[in-house]
Amino acid sequence: MNAPLSDREKALMGMGESRLRKEDARFIQGKGNYVDDIKMPGMLHMDIVRAPVAHARIVRINKEAALKIPGVIAVLTADDLKPLKLHWMPTLAGDVQAVLADAKVHFQMQEVAVVIAEDRYAAADGVEAVEVEYEELQAVVDPFDALLPDAPVLREDLVGKTEGAHGKRKHHNHIFNWQAGDKEATDAAFASAAVTVQQDMLYPRVHPCPLETCGCVASFDPIRGELTTWITSQAPHVVRTVVSMLSGIPESKVRIISPDIGGGFGNKVPIYPGYVCAIVASIVLGRPVKWVEDRIENLSSTGFARDYHMTGELAATADGKILALRTHVTADHGAFDACADPSKFPAGMFHICSGSYDIAAAHCSVDGVYTNKAPGGVAYRCSFRVTEAVYLIERMVDVLAQKLGMDKAEIRSKNFIKREQFPYKSAFGFEYDSGDYQTALDQVLEAVDYKGLRAEQAAKRADPDCPTLMGIGLVSFTEVVGAGPSKICDILGVGMFDSCEIRVHPTGSAIARMGTISQGQAHQTTYAQIIATELGISSEVIQVEEGDTHTAPYGLGTYGSRSTPVAGAAIAMAARKIHAKAKTIAAHLMEVSEADLEWEIDRFKVKGNDAKFKTMTDIAWAAYHQPPAGLEPGLEATYYYDPPNFTFPFGIYLCVVDIDKATGETKIRRFYALDDCGTRINPMVIEGQIHGGLTEGFAVAMGQLLSFDKQGNIQGNSLMDYFLPTAVETPMWETDFTVTPSPHHPIGAKGVAESPHVGSIPTFTSAMVDAFAHLGVTHFNMPHTSYRVWQQLKASGIVG
Amino acid sequence: MEVVLDKTYPVAAGVDAAWVILANMHELATCMPGAQITEDIDATHFKGAVKVKVGPAVAAFAGTIEILTLDASTRTLKMMGKGADKGGSSASMELTANLVEAEGGLSTLVGHAEVIVNGKFAQFGGRMMTSVSDMILAQFADVFSQKAAVQQAAMAPAEAAPVAADAAAADASGSAPATDAAAPAAARAVPVAPIVAQEFNALTFAWQMIKNFFAGLFGRKT
Repeated sequence: MNAPLSDREKALMGMGESRLRKEDARFIQGKGNYVDDIKMPGMLHMDIVRAPVAHARIVRINKEAALKIPGVIAVLTADDLKPLKLHWMPTLAGDVQAVLADAKVHFQMQEVAVVIAEDRYAAADGVEAVEVEYEELQAVVDPFDALLPDAPVLREDLVGKTEGAHGKRKHHNHIFNWQAGDKEATDAAFASAAVTVQQDMLYPRVHPCPLETCGCVASFDPIRGELTTWITSQAPHVVRTVVSMLSGIPESKVRIISPDIGGGFGNKVPIYPGYVCAIVASIVLGRPVKWVEDRIENLSSTGFARDYHMTGELAATADGKILALRTHVTADHGAFDACADPSKFPAGMFHICSGSYDIAAAHCSVDGVYTNKAPGGVAYRCSFRVTEAVYLIERMVDVLAQKLGMDKAEIRSKNFIKREQFPYKSAFGFEYDSGDYQTALDQVLEAVDYKGLRAEQAAKRADPDCPTLMGIGLVSFTEVVGAGPSKICDILGVGMFDSCEIRVHPTGSAIARMGTISQGQAHQTTYAQIIATELGISSEVIQVEEGDTHTAPYGLGTYGSRSTPVAGAAIAMAARKIHAKAKTIAAHLMEVSEADLEWEIDRFKVKGNDAKFKTMTDIAWAAYHQPPAGLEPGLEATYYYDPPNFTFPFGIYLCVVDIDKATGETKIRRFYALDDCGTRINPMVIEGQIHGGLTEGFAVAMGQLLSFDKQGNIQGNSLMDYFLPTAVETPMWETDFTVTPSPHHPIGAKGVAESPHVGSIPTFTSAMVDAFAHLGVTHFNMPHTSYRVWQQLKASGIVG
Repeated sequence: MEVVLDKTYPVAAGVDAAWVILANMHELATCMPGAQITEDIDATHFKGAVKVKVGPAVAAFAGTIEILTLDASTRTLKMMGKGADKGGSSASMELTANLVEAEGGLSTLVGHAEVIVNGKFAQFGGRMMTSVSDMILAQFADVFSQKAAVQQAAMAPAEAAPVAADAAAADASGSAPATDAAAPAAARAVPVAPIVAQEFNALTFAWQMIKNFFAGLFGRKT
């Protein structure tokens, strides 16, 4: 009567199984439901008039011609929003941002006016017809120029304010200075060190460029006083709170729905002017209003990433033991400080920049600066500023190795935090939960025959007729994800916990609702697997719902690899509450003491008696039908999980490139990625996440760039210029793993989707620079396009 | 987006005749592909318009021109032009043009231009800016040279440059194609078709680039 244990376990399709993605059935049939799929009776369309110049005064806006166009209903400018006090709005970083340019334009493509019309065409015609007269001002696009004493004042609204949201402002275009670590100890270590190295590097401005751009449909019901908004948001609950605060509508009457989302990568965390204008328009007009930006608008005006001008320094002993790290960053935040970081961290988790290494003293200092560029600074497929931090330390370790003539692998081994040192407190104050870097490194070096590769490289360098330069990149990164403990992490004052509500129905199926929202991460698939393993219910009968604030418990959303570390823990904890109640019911049903029961895959059985058991299905029925006296009927639980710490996934990546000496064209010959994300919930989904992250890392390292000319014109804001790799360009990925569970997480999982992005980018640069290392080159900046590599070949005297 | 251009072009006329064209804003404007003067504000300020065609889209820049220097002794013109298009592009150009004598009684036009383009044109056309400017200027110089030649021919029998210049100026202030009849003096000397530059068409330009590219390929082989 009892199926074998392994069969029962298999039937659950729980943790560790490569369960196929449940969401794909609708996506591959074109049955997804994205914001732009939403159509409502009487729905109006909004389009945005944008500034053609980066810095200017608005002399005059003339709406007349636009209002005469058939179908145009309204044109709104900052002056129209002023009576509602909505012409400016707070940012997540403690600054304010113009919703519509108020007397002054601060960046090219800034929102100047919106046109609301009966259809999308009329809205576009209306935008063309709005006449705006500008008086151009000198644009400032370089953050170093912005800090010159006589630089133009960019933010006239802040004139005279010497205190910002994060302390003193030292210049009229300065936002904040943020420091971490011990400056004195670090300076002392540098003063007496045998060897020091220093390297400047730019992590250029890039954009997450999700396939689906940002947009919303706002629908205000004037009779009931209720506002419903479908929106491309990675954090719908936060949007609800902000919308309620800005509009004065009680939060209970604001319903925010994130439907299917076509990729976010941090770009869909902030609250954009377009959303606010569509909501205002719907409230004013009493009709639903749709706004969906196009690709150029997405690349030009919504959350960019990076733009960190970094200087790294390492102090070390003559034999390569790192003693201290010192770094300074000039961070270009654009026209408004709209970074999406936990409130107390204006540079995010940049202080993870001591990496995987045991460094006794460290100090970092970050200066945020205003320029005439779009605001943003989002975490593009990474935890807040972790990509920048990992890039810095990994580049610096290579630079030091080069100075000392040491091998990249050897210097890393020498400086790793050792397995027995965990939990490890870093010089910046992080407590790394777990890690085993050396084992992972050894596994990778063995798999790729590292010695063989180095021998091949030496032979090629010795051969003047070799048509290619060969480079080997190696990176051993540690990420900090799962923000975060609410004692230090909050967004607008709301702690960064996350939540789960599970209801087990009488017949033994279940629904789970979450505070997170998938943008492609397969939550529907993997969350159900956690519940399946915890509760012994097949994942096939567990529904997962997210994104509707009317039904889901409050959560801070999905970004910074926080879904598994935080929400995943909330699921396990909610399931365990149900599990505990189920045990009470099972004991009651079998008339034994709870102490006599043991859990086995999908049932409670009397210890030592396989024949006497109750499955979770039996228990669910009983919970609604005959609960024990004094026990509340039903079988459901909600859990708000406030993580005690971050999680620290890590990995070892190795890349081999061959660069054509004549053209600079680069072939990624091999990319080997070993990831350790702790407990693995669904290996197939992990593989997919890693492929996606590596591909986006490849995109950033080898081609993506948002560049600007001196006048602040954004160059290359369409997919003609902005590099989005397809299957044609993307190299082959080889993946591998080790498993070092997180000791503080209920199921030991650490999060994985961002590691491959964070880890791969410095690996590509490491490989590219390595190809030139024998010529004394220690660093060159991304992106490593053929043209730029060719310039490097020229600079190194390889091409005439 | 800023482009600095330093160019010299041969002119098929002597410096005196060429200076007549250079010193007359109406004449000069019609050398520019797609350009015209729409209003004389005063002796040194004008309103003008330039049309540039990119496939089916036409960008119409309207703006102002200010003559900063007009020095007959050194035959130097310095001017500043600024314009904006309703579609969200704007441009400015500071131009210094100077005529120097060349062999055979001809002259050379030496130009230095600093062009700044903002908005959509700068966003999308950035990489083509230098080539487009080159081509526009080459066309400009070509028309300029033709006009100067006609002017020279007209001046030869009259032997009175100022008169011819006045005539040209008076005639060109008329509406529509300003040089319909060129100067009466010129018409007397040389039966010419109206010399006016065609508006710049980027599709034609692209075709020209492709032709040049292939011409370059085959040129190298022979």
